[in-house]
Amino acid sequence: MKNTIIIMAGVTIILAAVGVIQQGPEVIVQGCMAGGAMLIRVVPLLIAALILAGMIQVVISRETINKWLGREAGIKGVILGGIAGALIPGGPYVFYPIAASFLLSGAEIGTVVAFVVAKNLWSLSRLPMEVALLGPRLTVIRFIATLIFPILVGVLGNAFFVKYGDRVRAQIREIQKADEES
Amino acid sequence: MITAFIILVIFAVLASAYAYGKGDGSLARGFAIARKTFIGIAPLLLVAFIMAGFIQVVIPPELIRSWLGQESGLKGILIGSIGGALLPGGPYVAFPIIASIFQAGAGMGTAVAFVAGWAMWGIANIPFELAMIGHRFMFLRLALVLIIPPAAGFMANLFF
Repeated sequence: MKNTIIIMAGVTIILAAVGVIQQGPEVIVQGCMAGGAMLIRVVPLLIAALILAGMIQVVISRETINKWLGREAGIKGVILGGIAGALIPGGPYVFYPIAASFLLSGAEIGTVVAFVVAKNLWSLSRLPMEVALLGPRLTVIRFIATLIFPILVGVLGNAFFVKYGDRVRAQIREIQKADEES
Repeated sequence: MITAFIILVIFAVLASAYAYGKGDGSLARGFAIARKTFIGIAPLLLVAFIMAGFIQVVIPPELIRSWLGQESGLKGILIGSIGGALLPGGPYVAFPIIASIFQAGAGMGTAVAFVAGWAMWGIANIPFELAMIGHRFMFLRLALVLIIPPAAGFMANLFF
């Protein structure tokens, strides 16, 4: 948690330094303003996403998750994870807390990887925008060329990284509990 | 943005109503978890948004556009994947830039690699991934998706 903040602050300072060298000191104000404006815009989405993530953890029992998204679910879990990803709208501040809540509720690591990758490749809410801005031909070809990957990475994740999934869970617990220790 | 918000609120309300219907304090516990998570990640989130702001300001889209020109073939696919990864911001920012590169004469494979590079390797997601799910998940995900942008570009060139 502390390390993550330090690393992110370090990267931000490096970016700011590069910006100042390239464009002058006003970059510092512009960067903070751009970030602040983004934060204000997404706060309502963020709150809705966190409430949804919290409810997922209390509403969906461990047995349900195990049956549908857990290890026993196998490829079915990976496919359902992908469909959930396609259905959830919103940016990374929305789907990462939901992905974390799936993992804490006992979903398998491959299922959650499939969820995140499908959010970015199958996203239904993004498709109209993609068609409008990139045209139907490019959109359809892009969709077909990436269609298989959410399932593929989910299966690979479940085949090779189940143990690693426990370490990922431990880290999420650490992130979410940080406020109690300080 | 508004559509996304409405859909999320509907999901959240349905889940909350179900929690309330269970009648065992699930609703209060769900809100408690949401509040705790929010407080826990708030400092990280603040840094994440400032970092995202600087990514947007310091990496100008014109730079990527001029850098790509009319690349096609295997080189175009690789440059497209990396260019996509460096694109800051959400679809509203990224898609118009990709469209302008495609219209400037980049190949189909380059354009597909660009979209996939933005979606899979995108630096815009990284601050939030670090803040909300941690670097262990991020490294695993990046390792698993490493091949996707060039592979998708290659397939697009091969078949279309």
